[in-house]
Amino acid sequence: MQSVILKGTQDGYKLFFRQSAGINDILVDLKRFLDKYKVQNSSTPQVIHFNILTGDRLLTEEDKNKVISIFKTYPNFQIDGFISNVITRSKAKIIRERNTVKTISRTIRNGQVIRLNGDVLFFGDIHEGGKLVTTGNVYILGNVYGIVHAGVPNSEDKLVIGNLHNAQQVRIGEQFDIVADKNISNTSRTVAYINDLHVLDYGDVKNLKQINPRFYNRIGGII
Amino acid sequence: MGKSIVITSGKGGVGKTTTTANLGVSLALMGKRVCLVDLDIGLRNLDVILGLDNRIMYDIVDVAENRVKLPQALIKDKRFQDLLYLLPAAQTTDKNALDEKQVKTIIDELKPDFDYVFIDCPAGIEQGFVNSIAGADGAIVVTTPEISAVRDADRVIGLLDQHPLKEAPKLLINRIRRNMMQEGDTMDVDEITDHLGIDLLGIIFDDDDVISTSNHGEPVVLNPNNPASQGYRNVARRMEGQTVPLMRIDQPKESFWSKLVHLFKGKNNQSTK
Repeated sequence: MQSVILKGTQDGYKLFFRQSAGINDILVDLKRFLDKYKVQNSSTPQVIHFNILTGDRLLTEEDKNKVISIFKTYPNFQIDGFISNVITRSKAKIIRERNTVKTISRTIRNGQVIRLNGDVLFFGDIHEGGKLVTTGNVYILGNVYGIVHAGVPNSEDKLVIGNLHNAQQVRIGEQFDIVADKNISNTSRTVAYINDLHVLDYGDVKNLKQINPRFYNRIGGII
Repeated sequence: MGKSIVITSGKGGVGKTTTTANLGVSLALMGKRVCLVDLDIGLRNLDVILGLDNRIMYDIVDVAENRVKLPQALIKDKRFQDLLYLLPAAQTTDKNALDEKQVKTIIDELKPDFDYVFIDCPAGIEQGFVNSIAGADGAIVVTTPEISAVRDADRVIGLLDQHPLKEAPKLLINRIRRNMMQEGDTMDVDEITDHLGIDLLGIIFDDDDVISTSNHGEPVVLNPNNPASQGYRNVARRMEGQTVPLMRIDQPKESFWSKLVHLFKGKNNQSTK
């Protein structure tokens, strides 16, 4: 039974690596397959692209490199990417963290730094000198007298929503603002975002659609 | 088995040592056996405030390094029969002369013999602070109505959150100037308590006598009529589980009209005032 199967779909050619086959068999079969179909006449410039389907198998980087190096010897075949049905636990965890909103209700005191992944719904207090840092968005329902940092380390599409009037600093990605220098109104409807000029800007929740259409669509556009 | 309580603040000069001395004396006056432990190594003051500086033979570092036994280093305050003792800090070494384990051993050795063991913490949050909280069951965070002191108190409460003691820390607001607080020139008591989010143990008014009495080696609590002294005595009573109302910031002033009303109503109302 062949361990490498060619599939033609609307999206192009796909090479399916049979799940139960050993990786060495696959590499042998792959070579045989490519030998069979390689164009003898090298004057034809057409390059055929493949996606590799690995089924419920995760190829290690080492195995991937072996496959890639085999392909390199055939100039008119190219790999677009590896597609697997499965991901590692650690990757799944990262994705889950990214997509869940963390709810926190505690006091972040002077000198304390809370680092998180993903979006944060914050009910607690951030005292002067306290810092809330996350890779995602920050939604504030508590009191902020300290520093809020969204989109760590450099995502400029993240938002801080809530009352920032009393905060010390607002940071998104690599941009920051000293709140005392800005006139941020004392309302929980403030949206801090990075505008097209890569500068921190402030708007109202009702303009969220204009400020960040992608975010607006993701949350379903209901406000 | 007694309770060990660390008196800390983060910031210097807010009255940790004064508070330690005065609370210790208040509780001794109430008949409790109290030991005061000075951990401000290298800059000891507690002995001076108690007027015991001339009696120091050995110090806590001598005890930690097993040069003497613990009872030998304890100094008895003769004014309070057999109730108040001091374990002085060393003056010739620095804050790093001790580690947490040594301090904890000493405090654990003291606790069975006393009702209260107060630990006078040095300013700052370095080794001296870490040592001070190592043996403590509870903490009193001292602050003044100044923004810098409140910030540092916040920081210290945060650090205590990370190394929780048996009991949650309590707040003591020291050096309150009535007139300034009334005028709104300093943060008021509720504001500070709300902000820091821990229970208020008491408030102490600023008073010249606190300094002048401690210059004579007599803690201010020995004078029962002084407002600062009353504040410390109230705190001591609260620590003993009594319910004592907070002292009033405002000294009630009568308006012109109520004075007039009282004048006409006569003596009855005057006496209820």
